[in-house]
Amino acid sequence: MGPEPIDDVERELRQGMLRLPAPPGLKRKIMARKRALDAERTHRRVVFWQRLAASIVLCGAVGGGVTWHNIQERRKGEAASQQVMVALRIAGRALDQMNAQLAEHNVDK
Amino acid sequence: MSHDWQPDFEKLVDEHQSMIFSLAFRMTGDRGLAEEIAQDVFLELDRNLGRIESPEHALNWLRRVVMNRSADALRRQRVRGMDLWVEMDENHGATFEERPSPLRSRLEALMATLPSPQRAALVLRYQEGLTPDEIAATLDSPLATVKSNLQRGLKLLRAKAESHLKEFIRGT
Repeated sequence: MGPEPIDDVERELRQGMLRLPAPPGLKRKIMARKRALDAERTHRRVVFWQRLAASIVLCGAVGGGVTWHNIQERRKGEAASQQVMVALRIAGRALDQMNAQLAEHNVDK
Repeated sequence: MSHDWQPDFEKLVDEHQSMIFSLAFRMTGDRGLAEEIAQDVFLELDRNLGRIESPEHALNWLRRVVMNRSADALRRQRVRGMDLWVEMDENHGATFEERPSPLRSRLEALMATLPSPQRAALVLRYQEGLTPDEIAATLDSPLATVKSNLQRGLKLLRAKAESHLKEFIRGT
């Protein structure tokens, strides 16, 4: 069988460049890699949500702690100011009494 | 446009694995690398599946990505100084049921020796039957460049085939 004429190059390319069959197992390998990537993606998503949830809980705990501490401080402050007010009222009353006694003493003289 | 079309990844792999592998193999000349490129292309398709609007879009997207990936692989191998075109002759025809003609099998091997832009244009033209406009869109190249690559590629292929066949005749 002799070689074809050179002019047939384009014709040969048109007729001869068919798609080759894919290697056996290519689809199986692709699907296996896809499953592995999907699992990794799911794992990454779960870890992300877990971290997000943990961060929210931590922020909530810290925020709650700070708020609770502030409330306690405010309560202590209020109690202290009430005590001061009571003390001032008592002192005021004592001063009033002393004032009254001094006034009486001055009248007697 | 068929916007209600739902892409089925497995079906797309079934439909296009042969095309993707063939393009990658004809571009790189390495079965192992072509298989790896085909896998990567389909995994990239999986990541971008939500953006695929129609079967034609999937086909064009796959062609574009496999050509880009193959060109990248060739560039990487060239940087490393490796010659990929080692097994085309030995393994290429192994799975063909029908023996190709001497010119045809020679042409497949000679294609390998063409510069990659010319090879890409010729593979898309003759394997996929694309028009120069479609090739330009696939390779993201100007139409004039694609036409020039096709003409130069064919000319070079003819010249190489001629010299090879002369040697073949002398040898017989």
